Amino acid sequence: MQVCADPVTPAVNPALDSPLTGLTVLDDPVEQGRFTQWVVGAAGERLAESALQLSGLHCAACAGLIEQALMGVGGVRSAVVNSAAQRAAVRWDPTQTRASALIEAVRRAGYDAVPDAAAPARALRHAEHRQALWRVFVASFCAMQIMMMATPSYLAGPGELAPDLRQLLNWGSWLLSLPVMLFCAGPMLASAWRCLRARRIGMDVPVSLALLITFVASTGATFSPDGVFGHEVYFDSLSMFVSFLLGARYVELRARHGAAQALEQAMARLPEVALRLLDDGELETVSVHRLQPGDRVRVPVGQAFAADGVVLLGATQADESLLTGESAPVTKTVGSELVAGSVNVGAPVDMTVLRVGHDTRFEAIVSMMRSAMAQRPAAARVADRWAAPFLWAVLLLAAGAGAVWSVIDPARAVWVAVSVLIVTCPCALSLAAPATLVAAARGLARRGVMLQNLDAIEQLARADHFFFDKTGTLTENQLQLREIVLTDAGHQRLAGDAEAVARAASLARYSLHPMAAALVAAAGISESPSPSLSDVRELPGLGLEGTDQLGTTWQLGSAAWLRVDHDDGNAAQVWLARDGQALASFALDERLRDGAQRAVQDLQAQGLQVSLLSGDTVGRATALGERLGLHGPGAVIAGAKPQDKLAAVVRAQAAGRRVAMVGDGINDAPVLARADISLAMGLGALVSRSQADAVVTSNRLSDIVRARATAQRALRIVRQNMLWAAAYNAVCVPLAVLGYLPPWAAGLGMAASSMLVVMNALRASNVVVEPGDATPGPMVSARGT
Amino acid sequence: MARSAAMAAPAESMYSDQAIRLFALAAVLWGVVGMLVGVIIAAQLTWPELNFGIPYISYGRLRPLHTNAVIFAFGGCTLFATSYHVVQRTCQTRLFAPKLALFTFIGWQVVILAAAISLPMGYTQGKEYAELEWPIDLLIAVVWVSYAIVFFGTVGTRKIRHIYVANWFFGAFILAVAVLHIVNSAAIPAGLWKSYSAYSGVQDAMIQWWYGHNAVGFFLTAGFLGIMYYYIPKQAERPVYSYRLSIVHFWALIFTYMWAGPHHLHYTALPDWAQSIGMIFSLVLLAPSWGGMINGIMTLSGAWHKLRDDPILKFLIVSLSFYGMSTFEGPMMSIKTVNALSHYTDWTIGHVHSGALGWVGMISMGALYHLIPRMYGKTAMHSTKAIETHFWLATLGIVLYIAAMWIAGVMQGLMWRAVNPDGTLVYTFVESVKATFPYYVVRLLGGVLYFSGMLIMAWNVVMTVRTGQAVPAPIPHVAAAHA
Amino acid sequence: MESLYLLIPLSVGLVLLILGVFGWALYGGQFDDLEREGERILQADSVRLDNGQGQQQPPPEESPEQVNVRD
Repeated sequence: MQVCADPVTPAVNPALDSPLTGLTVLDDPVEQGRFTQWVVGAAGERLAESALQLSGLHCAACAGLIEQALMGVGGVRSAVVNSAAQRAAVRWDPTQTRASALIEAVRRAGYDAVPDAAAPARALRHAEHRQALWRVFVASFCAMQIMMMATPSYLAGPGELAPDLRQLLNWGSWLLSLPVMLFCAGPMLASAWRCLRARRIGMDVPVSLALLITFVASTGATFSPDGVFGHEVYFDSLSMFVSFLLGARYVELRARHGAAQALEQAMARLPEVALRLLDDGELETVSVHRLQPGDRVRVPVGQAFAADGVVLLGATQADESLLTGESAPVTKTVGSELVAGSVNVGAPVDMTVLRVGHDTRFEAIVSMMRSAMAQRPAAARVADRWAAPFLWAVLLLAAGAGAVWSVIDPARAVWVAVSVLIVTCPCALSLAAPATLVAAARGLARRGVMLQNLDAIEQLARADHFFFDKTGTLTENQLQLREIVLTDAGHQRLAGDAEAVARAASLARYSLHPMAAALVAAAGISESPSPSLSDVRELPGLGLEGTDQLGTTWQLGSAAWLRVDHDDGNAAQVWLARDGQALASFALDERLRDGAQRAVQDLQAQGLQVSLLSGDTVGRATALGERLGLHGPGAVIAGAKPQDKLAAVVRAQAAGRRVAMVGDGINDAPVLARADISLAMGLGALVSRSQADAVVTSNRLSDIVRARATAQRALRIVRQNMLWAAAYNAVCVPLAVLGYLPPWAAGLGMAASSMLVVMNALRASNVVVEPGDATPGPMVSARGT
Repeated sequence: MARSAAMAAPAESMYSDQAIRLFALAAVLWGVVGMLVGVIIAAQLTWPELNFGIPYISYGRLRPLHTNAVIFAFGGCTLFATSYHVVQRTCQTRLFAPKLALFTFIGWQVVILAAAISLPMGYTQGKEYAELEWPIDLLIAVVWVSYAIVFFGTVGTRKIRHIYVANWFFGAFILAVAVLHIVNSAAIPAGLWKSYSAYSGVQDAMIQWWYGHNAVGFFLTAGFLGIMYYYIPKQAERPVYSYRLSIVHFWALIFTYMWAGPHHLHYTALPDWAQSIGMIFSLVLLAPSWGGMINGIMTLSGAWHKLRDDPILKFLIVSLSFYGMSTFEGPMMSIKTVNALSHYTDWTIGHVHSGALGWVGMISMGALYHLIPRMYGKTAMHSTKAIETHFWLATLGIVLYIAAMWIAGVMQGLMWRAVNPDGTLVYTFVESVKATFPYYVVRLLGGVLYFSGMLIMAWNVVMTVRTGQAVPAPIPHVAAAHA
Repeated sequence: MESLYLLIPLSVGLVLLILGVFGWALYGGQFDDLEREGERILQADSVRLDNGQGQQQPPPEESPEQVNVRD
């Protein structure tokens, strides 16, 4: 039995332990297909091969423990844990066990696992990486050996190296150049051939031409030294050039893979489930993807409504703040419409499904990230436009130089032409932008800002007017106790604020209403002894009441229910009453997100305009604006319906500003699409995120400020790279034409230039951090919402 | 349950450690013998009277006996023992063909004994580290092929899919030595104990030093690096500092080793360009060597305090410092201008011995001190204090040895090249010999100290074995996952 | 430098062999999950294995099930 050095029990989300939330959904073939393949076992039987994403590993022995735990499940044939990637590959017999049993076994061992739906993408990347590494190794190993064999020719004075010995060394170099040309340079040659057949000029064309000319001429020089190709061989330049080029591409591949991996790691979570009512009254847990219109679904308190529908049975309240921006829950009775994504905060109800939403949250985000990486951003498309004429110019220049030199000194003509072909570095030009932007995207992903497309970086850098939504963006989704006011009766009967809160919390414990949750949080219920109550009832829309041990009835609820005259003011209020007599009122506020003030100040300090857009009342919105430091006309736009928000953005754009919109709920969708760049906060459930250019999964507003700084830095780096590429070509091409650059120097220069560009691009992945910043925490994995 | 089951379990589920025990004890024995001969010849260089006019114990014949005994007998047996141990424990499988492994032990001892007899009798091929005559060369080839079969067979039947890095070093060492030996020892027999090299003149010199240097590189470096990468983590109870770096280290070393040979032939009849290649690539070798050294030493990062109390760790870690020193000194000496001073002087001897006594000797001692108790059912040697004493004797001995040789070497080089304004030599050769005398005394003292440390080790080993028990070790059950 | 007629082809052959070995290692998964492999030699199984030889072995029980307990 292996022993773990310092065992730590990871926090397993308790909501997921309940049978309702869905390990059994993993056994649903529809869900299972996303992380399981079918293979044939040794005896011809059908076996399942599942990929799991693990968490909680913190030492090398953990991998072994998990493997043991999995192997302990009957029916499991093999379990291999990759501790670096934190994933497990399990082969199991479907006739003997279930997929959910695998995850249960991992949890029993003290770790956690979710299906790894990204496994196919990961396997592709793994294969791609291996191939690239293999090519680099072969090229550089052969280059090293060829260099050893070429060195005598460089070192020996005239007459010191016997001709047949020189021949032997050339022969050896030729032999080792074969794998380099055929295998390592193969893809480049193939791509150049494809380009030419399509009658285009691609980047690989001059490179391939140079390689072929060098190889053919050197081969000729090896086997007939007195022939037309002369006796100089350049196998060392050739192989060194190929290995450096492949090296630069390898580095870029690693950066690209790192970005994809960071994204996938954040997205792993358990699938969502719903409780479907069967005809006989039994409940079954199904994947939300299985729901059909007409299905009847039971929705417990605290769960989101999985689809659009109507209330069939029961009465409750729904938190629709995600959709309408309204923080007060909405009463729902039989026949009321329910919107997919809103949360049931009152009481359990049954609903009939009307429309099924395509909330494939996981796939939507991952696929949008993947497509983002595959697209060529605007900056690169610009570079591409210049590539074709540039490359034609290079070919003509090489041919011209060769022609001129064939008159001046025929022995050198070929080599000058080759040098011109090699030294020009179009790769730097076409690498400059994409490599940088991919690196920046990766850095941002690690810091909790996921980009949908790379163009977003440029837009973010140039944005100068930031519009923020209020609820769920600048504020937390939860409420916060702001003020306790005791009535005269309260002063007499209660021992003070603390008792008021304790009494209120003792009732509030029984409810999931956001206001109740705020009171419970305020009381710190776990520390102080709570008065125990019996006969607690929750009346949706009204409040709670219960009886204490002395027989007194306590009530906690709205002013209307408790028949209290009050001034609503600017906050939501809950009243505490004893035997019908109001004792205290609790003013609850929306809590500003941590760092919201700082984020707004940082943006304003950079000279950017910041505005608050809210559907909430003028009073509440203005008050919040004050807290954030938003003054002046247009700083706070309240009572805004969706079309008002859109109009505000359009006005700003008409005034010549680049607009960034940070929002959350569905009714922001048209605004998000209209803005030059849109960001959506990560914890809301929904579809609007597919409209946004970026998702802030960390839910930290400071990350938006950092993202902007990172984007600006990335653009600076792109510019640096472009400048370098231009300067390098401007200097080196004339040198090559004039014959000052032998092929080995040209190859070295070209490879070094590419490497420099890629290395510089990698700097973009370091997210800009200022002193006093919180250290970047792990991305919030919003499991179970 | 496990223990009684172990007694009753079939042999296939136990490691095969018999050959390991035999080789480990033989290593200690030949270490004593080889170092004794070393002390004798050092004394003979200091006081030539000690040749006594007896051919069998003359310096010329004893020197190759010393080199062969310490490199192939002491070093070789250590490598056999440790590689058989490491390959089984890291592959979690039994040795492939244990009887063949036993044969390698017997065969190797026959080689050593044949050397011990034939070399003092004057039978030699005259090639450094390859003096043994052709019948013994054939036996070496047979034993070596058997060794390869056992080692690679064990790797091939492993239960753990990943091949631990130490095994890569061992594998490269075995294959390289096979190639080097077969190529270099090619000879045409002209009698039972006489043969002529297949090569001649400067060609033979080139091939000889291609062999010689790569023998150092693969026998004395790659093989012992394999030892380092297993026994340091085990003794320190910490993993290698960067396992990834150890893999890179291995491949980087393989890249560059084959071409450094010509640096032994600077300013000889070898063409200048060939000498230059030797120089350049010897310098290139510096980087991967030091990468490995840093990787090994930094394994103790965060646990340096263990060095205070554990003399075995002292041996292992200090050996790496000497490794670093030698792999720096070597490339420096391969630079032509430096070599112009050092060639043929005692500086070369100093360099060899800092590598041999410092790196090879100390890593072997550390590994054997770790291995031997465990082969006899214990976790520690009979006396840890004796190990500590051994360590300090060895270190002091090395320091005296190499300091004496550096000074002597530089002095010789300077004396030999000193010319008068009229172009005549300032010093005669014998004057330089006379001037070297005191340094030979100091070197002898250093060697005696080192040898006495080895005697203490021998005593410690005997005491450990006497109170120990050779018990078979069961192979842990490996889940099918790893197959 | 006729010896090079032997040494050069030999080293070319060796290079191709070494490349083959590297390719085999790479595609055989030898370079996957490296840090864990570095730690494997320290895991409890093997340590106890060598140490456990110190205890005196009790005489084997005559229970047939205990033979071949390892498969």
